[in-house]
Amino acid sequence: MKKFVVAITAFLILFPIGLLFYKSEVLNLSLIPQMVDDVWNFHLTVKPKGDQLSFSFPIPRSSLGQKVSDEKIRNKGIEVFVDSNSDSSLATWSAKEPINRRITYSARVDLNDVVYKNIPKDYTVNYPKGLQKYLKVPELLPEDVAAIETLEGAILEGSEDKTSLVRKIYYYVEEEIQRNTDIKTIHETLNIGKGSPLIKAKLFNIMARRNGVPSRIVVLARMPELKDEQETKIRFTFSNEVFLSNKWIPIDTNRGYFGERPDSFMVIYRNYEEVEKLISKKKVSYSIQAERARINRYNKAEFKKEVVKSDSIFSKISLYRLPLPLQTMFTTILLIPIGTLVLSLARNIIGVPTFGIFTPILLALFFKETSFGFGMLFFSVVVIIGIGERYILDKFYLLAVPRLSIILTLVILLMIGYAFFSVDLTSVSQKHLAFFPIVIITTIIERLSIQLAEEGVINTLKTLLGTLVISVLVYSLYFISPLEMFIFTNPELLVTIIGLLILVGKYKGYRISEFIRFRDLVRQKKKKESQKYDLP
Amino acid sequence: MIFRDLKQMGILGINNRVGRYILRHNKRANYPLVDNKVLTAQRAAAWGIPTPENYLVVENYGSLKNLHLKLLNYDSFVIKPAKGSQGNGIIVIKEIIKEEKHGEIRILCRRSNDKLMDIDEVKHHISGILSGLYSLGGQSDAAIIQAKIDKHPIFDDYSYSGIPDIRVIVFEGFPVMSMVRLPTKSSDGKANLHQGAIGAGLNLSNGWTNNAVINNQVVDTHPDTGHNLSGLKLPFWREILELAAHCYDMVELGYLGADIVLTPDQGPILLELNARPGLGIQIANLAGLVPRLEKIRREAPHNLLAKERADYSMKNF
Repeated sequence: MKKFVVAITAFLILFPIGLLFYKSEVLNLSLIPQMVDDVWNFHLTVKPKGDQLSFSFPIPRSSLGQKVSDEKIRNKGIEVFVDSNSDSSLATWSAKEPINRRITYSARVDLNDVVYKNIPKDYTVNYPKGLQKYLKVPELLPEDVAAIETLEGAILEGSEDKTSLVRKIYYYVEEEIQRNTDIKTIHETLNIGKGSPLIKAKLFNIMARRNGVPSRIVVLARMPELKDEQETKIRFTFSNEVFLSNKWIPIDTNRGYFGERPDSFMVIYRNYEEVEKLISKKKVSYSIQAERARINRYNKAEFKKEVVKSDSIFSKISLYRLPLPLQTMFTTILLIPIGTLVLSLARNIIGVPTFGIFTPILLALFFKETSFGFGMLFFSVVVIIGIGERYILDKFYLLAVPRLSIILTLVILLMIGYAFFSVDLTSVSQKHLAFFPIVIITTIIERLSIQLAEEGVINTLKTLLGTLVISVLVYSLYFISPLEMFIFTNPELLVTIIGLLILVGKYKGYRISEFIRFRDLVRQKKKKESQKYDLP
Repeated sequence: MIFRDLKQMGILGINNRVGRYILRHNKRANYPLVDNKVLTAQRAAAWGIPTPENYLVVENYGSLKNLHLKLLNYDSFVIKPAKGSQGNGIIVIKEIIKEEKHGEIRILCRRSNDKLMDIDEVKHHISGILSGLYSLGGQSDAAIIQAKIDKHPIFDDYSYSGIPDIRVIVFEGFPVMSMVRLPTKSSDGKANLHQGAIGAGLNLSNGWTNNAVINNQVVDTHPDTGHNLSGLKLPFWREILELAAHCYDMVELGYLGADIVLTPDQGPILLELNARPGLGIQIANLAGLVPRLEKIRREAPHNLLAKERADYSMKNF
């Protein structure tokens, strides 16, 4: 390659990458927006046991790190009253006759991490009246009190402030008490060093309160993992909160979080003692479910703020400044150049035959615009029509343009059929019938028809397969949402793609397909040469 | 590793052909001279290069109406699209039959494969050509009614119906590789390698066949005539190469494929030119093009006449 070509190519490839470094290292911008944690659909069903005219059950409420919206709490024929004290909500359902059926509650909950870094030392001695209930130590057996006193003597020695005191208690309960769901009393736990999540929370609670730190047990629901979407049923679990430097700090001795509550936990009620009886299996049967309302959402709004705040040239030219519909369009079309890169590699380096040059890209867009299933179905039908018409319309001796127009008209008839058919079945998506796909399909039919005339059915089907493979590859790019977001955030990378395309365009080597084409040549040449030596 | 073998043999790949030879040596502006056979024929006439006689050029649908009257003047002819490729859309009519039934005159055309075509079918075929069905990229086209060429007797044993043609790759005016394409039954009498015609490599020095393939497989005999393919030596060999070399002067394309036919009376004449000749010729010759192309690029003397360039190739390849 000539030097100036190398220089230009290197510049095209490296300049945008340099910009990326500048953005991330100098301007401290993120290269891709943060994933936002997702919104959950939360469902609760409760049924009281025995003949009860009314019963209460805790329901989630908005607080730091969790936002509850779209609550549906009413049930036919049953009155509901929600008591919201400052920290938690308690719903009471009542009816004139005993409640014998399931009561449902549902809501959307947006969860976020709650993190307190560097909790300052706390020397508070007197707490306001409202916190006094969180200092009351539950009654215990005398020997348990003695055991705890011994323990405290050993682990809390030399603690000056309440923050480090809490930290020591946390380390003890978190590390020394093993998780064992069969151990359900403090007495046993103190004796054998094992305990259920609830008992561990209780022990922490007792020790904190004994040492003058307001503390409470928190009832949590742990959200299901993304992987097992089917298993959406969840159970209550427990952790703690302690009042340090005027804030309730989350502490989880079961999963090991100090001053932190990950976004996979939802707070149901903040003082277990108040609802202990209400959620007891003796009084009610209940089930909780949660599933993600949306996945893979990027926090574009936050990122826009970040870019604007950076006050650099990028804040002026960022695509995030565009109106939302334009942004959506650009997220789609910015992947097309990557698609062309895939196409160029496939055609010029591998040697996959395709009809038309950009037909695979158009087809990928068609899949994207409609759906893969619909796109494939539609495409196959069009191919069948395209091949079939050669046998039928051939007898009519029609000129090429009217003939292709007939196919296009058939395609539109097909769309009418599809519309009627799918209205009957489900709601038809309008975009399936938009103009864009018609134009794409028309181009495809035209190419297909020419190829059929020039190279026959077998070769056309081979080419068709190549076209499909590449379009599916390009289409699958749209499922890599980080890639989509990355290019949208850093569109200058398109220049890099130009550089890479120059490299592909400069490739003079053999195509993979030529390996097959000339395979016999090499073999036969070698055979002929060896025959020469065999001659006497 | 096969790629190393290919490289060692100097096989030219598509990317290399386009990037290093076609793009650098072929001026785009000269493409119409080879892509449009009407223009090729005009240019050839001016340069004194023999080509088949074009009886008629049909350029619009209106002239189709009375076409049969004109066609009756000829015993035989070939219909081909002016911008066609790979032999698509070509029909060879070897006989015109006039039938009178109930006072109506019916004109039938007998094709080279002995199928009969009604004159209306012929007209439909021509209108298909005009609408661009066979042209590169589907642009509208013209149809050429051309004199049918007869087969040279040397090919009687080596060809099934159809006319064999000789492909010569010409680089910067020097013939670099050649093959003769022999029609077979499975190629339907067409000299098209993709459809199963025989490709027989030719020694540039003397016009003897050196190897033959059908669909990339080496063959020793013609599948239809059974004749041994190694025993063929083309007559007028020097004239063939000279004609091919001369085409370079005519169209000024550095990388060119010239398709030449041998006629019984006129000797070699130019059938058509190709600006993107295929790579299958390497398989027919069991040899790569790259060493020859590079030799021309590095060593061949400039400013030679076509005759001298043909001599150079006969001596060196």
